[in-house]
Amino acid sequence: MELQAVLMAAGGGSRMMDLTYNTPKPMLPVGNKPLMWYPLNLLERVGFEEVIVITTKEVQKMMSTDPKMKLEVKMKLDVVCIPEDTDMGTADALRHIQQKIKTDILVMSCDLITDAALHEVVDLFRAHNATLAMMMSKAHEFTETVPGQKGKKKTAEQRDFVGVDESGKRLLFMANEADLEEGLSIRKSIMRKHPRMHIKTGLVDAHLYCLKKSVVDFLAENKSISSIRGELVPYLVRKQFSKAANSQTTKDEADEQSQKQKDGNVNLDLHILSRDEPLLQLAQAYSCWNDHRGDMSDAYHGGTLRCYVHIMEQGLCYRVNTLAAYIEANRLIGSDSIIGAGGQIAEKTSIKRSTIGNSVTVKEKVKVTNSIVMHGVTIEEGCNIQGSVICSNAVVGRGADLKYCLVGNGQRIEPEAERTNEVIVGSDQLMEI
Amino acid sequence: LFATVLCWSSLRKSLSNTNRSKGGKQSRSGGGRKGADDQEEEEQPLQAVLIADSFNRRFFPITKDQPRALLPLGNVAMIDYTLEFLTSTGVQETFVFCCWMSHKIKEHLLKSKWCRPTSPNTVHIITSDLYRSLGDVLRDVDAKNLVRYDFVLVYGDVVSNIDVTQALQEHKHRRKVEKNISVMTMVFKESSPGHKSRCEEDDIIVAMDTKSQRVLHYQKTQGLKKLQFPMNIFHNGSEDFEIRHDLLDCHISICSPQVAELFTDNFDYQTRNDFVRGMLVNEEILGNQIHMHVTKDGYGARVSNLLMYDSVSSDLIRRWVYPLTPEANFTDREGPPCTHSRHNVYRGPGVSLGHGSQMVENVLIGCGTSIGADCHISNSVIGSNCNIGDNVTLDCAYVWNHVTISKNVTISQSVVCDRVEIREGVRLNKQCVLAYNVLIGPNVSLPDGTVVSMHHPDEEEEEDDDEFLSDGDADASQSKEKNKQKGFNPAEVGVEGKGFVWKTSSLDDTEDEELSQCLWGLVLNPDPESDSEASEPDDPDDPVIPSPEMDDVKVFELEVLGTLQRGLEENIGCDNLVVEVNSLKYAYNITLREVMQMLTRVVLEFPFQQQQGVQLSAAQYATVLLPLIERWAPLFKNYVKKAQDHLDCLSAFEEHFLEQEKHWPAMIKVLMSMYQLEILEEELIMRWFSQGATTDKGRQLRKNQGLQKFIKWLEEAEDESSEDE
Repeated sequence: MELQAVLMAAGGGSRMMDLTYNTPKPMLPVGNKPLMWYPLNLLERVGFEEVIVITTKEVQKMMSTDPKMKLEVKMKLDVVCIPEDTDMGTADALRHIQQKIKTDILVMSCDLITDAALHEVVDLFRAHNATLAMMMSKAHEFTETVPGQKGKKKTAEQRDFVGVDESGKRLLFMANEADLEEGLSIRKSIMRKHPRMHIKTGLVDAHLYCLKKSVVDFLAENKSISSIRGELVPYLVRKQFSKAANSQTTKDEADEQSQKQKDGNVNLDLHILSRDEPLLQLAQAYSCWNDHRGDMSDAYHGGTLRCYVHIMEQGLCYRVNTLAAYIEANRLIGSDSIIGAGGQIAEKTSIKRSTIGNSVTVKEKVKVTNSIVMHGVTIEEGCNIQGSVICSNAVVGRGADLKYCLVGNGQRIEPEAERTNEVIVGSDQLMEI
Repeated sequence: LFATVLCWSSLRKSLSNTNRSKGGKQSRSGGGRKGADDQEEEEQPLQAVLIADSFNRRFFPITKDQPRALLPLGNVAMIDYTLEFLTSTGVQETFVFCCWMSHKIKEHLLKSKWCRPTSPNTVHIITSDLYRSLGDVLRDVDAKNLVRYDFVLVYGDVVSNIDVTQALQEHKHRRKVEKNISVMTMVFKESSPGHKSRCEEDDIIVAMDTKSQRVLHYQKTQGLKKLQFPMNIFHNGSEDFEIRHDLLDCHISICSPQVAELFTDNFDYQTRNDFVRGMLVNEEILGNQIHMHVTKDGYGARVSNLLMYDSVSSDLIRRWVYPLTPEANFTDREGPPCTHSRHNVYRGPGVSLGHGSQMVENVLIGCGTSIGADCHISNSVIGSNCNIGDNVTLDCAYVWNHVTISKNVTISQSVVCDRVEIREGVRLNKQCVLAYNVLIGPNVSLPDGTVVSMHHPDEEEEEDDDEFLSDGDADASQSKEKNKQKGFNPAEVGVEGKGFVWKTSSLDDTEDEELSQCLWGLVLNPDPESDSEASEPDDPDDPVIPSPEMDDVKVFELEVLGTLQRGLEENIGCDNLVVEVNSLKYAYNITLREVMQMLTRVVLEFPFQQQQGVQLSAAQYATVLLPLIERWAPLFKNYVKKAQDHLDCLSAFEEHFLEQEKHWPAMIKVLMSMYQLEILEEELIMRWFSQGATTDKGRQLRKNQGLQKFIKWLEEAEDESSEDE
């Protein structure tokens, strides 16, 4: 087994609280399938036979009952629950399962919906014997109107600055705009090695990482890192050019001894440095292959820690972590409309570009356009629903007119109501925010 | 006549095509300038501004006798390369601006092929002694209204074969589309760092917009370890930027006529660097942009110091500047051109080579030069009419014209100027310079980097002011007088030697920053790897990232400290302080217990913060602290309510004094005042005291006499009160 797959499915969905109040993010229906089905399916398609799923007790319970998960996922799922209240980060979670990690790993987030060719990322990882290989994609503009958002509000989210080399693959720099108040600063020595750096800002991290096993071991030693994206990745990217990483090859033997001894006092960093195997080193020494132009120094300039990124130029890549992304993802799955099993749809209804969940009752003369209706919803006669999200078990009263609304879990919309651009949730839910 | 021309030109607008040609002819026959103007509207002849002065003294003392533009490079004056480049790229009119030794440049140009009537490139020579910088020249261009269209701006020491036509088209296109926003297009050549033709001084870093090729940031990197880019350059709506360190600045720029105006408007711009920086920084105000053009296969470099002279010369001989090669004779000199044979060996007409002499590779020898027997010459350029004796070794030597070298001389990587005489057995180590008319020898060895000139280094300072004004001839006569006064040092230049050694130190004391650098420029790449890696510590933020929780508490503590300080300065009431601390508590998600501890700690440490660096005695500490405690008593009371709060407060108190053993005498006073202010209750102080210490030091603390006394006093007071009851 070359890679072990790890699916991170414990996130709370803090950026779309209205949706995840009753349904945890991994189980949110997208095209009538739980969100986490998509990454699992992707892994299955590329041939993984076993996946470690890190999740919460709640999700585990729901997974065991969800028919889609049962029938359609044939891989062996090794579900690991983490305590819900401890607020563990993704890196903490990896540390939690360190015992299970035997090889290099592929970490995925449960909210990724993509048709990307996974092998591109893995190939980068293999070809360059990289410590980290990740995937990014061009950011999408969300075109649909989002309930509760007035107008086309440009979310002034802070951009990520990603620096890649000339080939667009080697990851050289990574920082968030928020941390760059004093300007972007790059060491000259990095520019010497990689004289042409592309800085891209319009990218979304797909949260898909290939990591060396040594990184997991490093995490076990280094408890202060709690998130992969927030701390580990920037740390690795920076570490590529630090002195320790480069002087490695020169004083190889001394290091080897110290690593064998494992005094406990050994510099924590040492664990993280992926050491090329002796044979590979020899191959590199005898090869005239080089990863750069302009000088005659060794491939990778002798650095042993290397980070790579695969940037998707086209294709589908969504991270369903906001309401807007959720609506967009639903729109993209399936061609026009999907209607779940066990429902009742009366006559003279019109359903266009919508997703209708299981056991949904739709009475006569109802018009549903561009909407998401989750499981167990009842829509009474003569309703007109447009561009809205109706969460599970909600009831929409007779003749109601909903435009661009979000109806929370189990809510009742009174008959003949006219609502536009509103988020309708229970009062207890509001308190949360 | 002028009136008719005007008439014609106005008429022409209404005339058809056939008539237009006739009109053109008419006006040309009239000789009026206006007519020519009209025609240019359609064709726009390409103009160029060539600055035949470097406005610095990097080539001193060589340039004391000859302006830089006329120094021979591959036996051709540098300005000829520049003019050839301009002509071949399609320039039809060139303005040459000269200042230092302008008469020599003028003389040279008038004799050259550029001033022949057949030349496709009309050269106008404009001289003035008042130019002190590129800015002055361009302001003059604006004042005289010389350029009307986009023009090429170059220095007289640029060697290039780049075809700028494409860059020009891009430039024009941009100006058409964006209404004159782009004022300049800089031409760069791609070359990786560490390339020989990139000199450290001219090393640049450019941030650009990938799509529009717009320059966002332009900076020289010399001496920098970290490259800083201001954030505002990334706020132009683009998503793709490039930071490029693989570019060589060719010092060729395509400018719009606006550039000259902008120099006039901003009279403090001296160099092109000033201009570029000014445009980029004030982009939002002035709305002018600068773009770039990167060429992959051309050659372009500026001979800005001797190191560059060395690399450009060797590139020229290795034919990188094709079609500008030594045998091409593009300057159209009389007589047969030199021949080119294997290993890049060029021999001019009339060269005689003695028996057993070898020209190994990359050698150029000018006409009429004779070389003795058993010489070994490699990677060198020798001028015309030189006389080289037997058994001479030249490697990377640049020997100019009319030089006499006797036998058994060794020269490596050095420049030997016109009419120098080198006697027997002399050895020139690396990076030596022998300026005009110097005589060296016999049998001396010049150490690395020796500069010898007939001019005394001191005279330069004396003449510093009228440097640019002084006439060359007057100079020479003056220096002759001085030579008589101050003798040559035979230990340095040999017994028969003539010339003064210029020490780098003597260059150092002049104010001019340029001069403090040595003539050869910085030693190229002292192995970039080692220098950058070894001297740089790891990023300070590199090691373990502190976990966020830890951070918050720390930040909270600092914030509380700041709040209290401000409260003291601005005399803010305790109620408001409570509100502020509460909001901080929520902002950083701090537990009430931590608030208590932090507050106690901050207050107790407050005297240290106020008088930083001063060692406080216990008494001083107490006098500073007690009023503060009194002042902030309500603050404490707000938080210290339950029994556990008291104990937390006291434990923080204990913790503080454990660290500050010297202040134990003050401890009792503090505790006393806290008791009296009813912050702490006696019962709980007793409990804290009796609950015992966990560490040795804590036990020690409790054994403190003052504390013991205080506790005893408390006990008694309690007894009394209970008795009262």
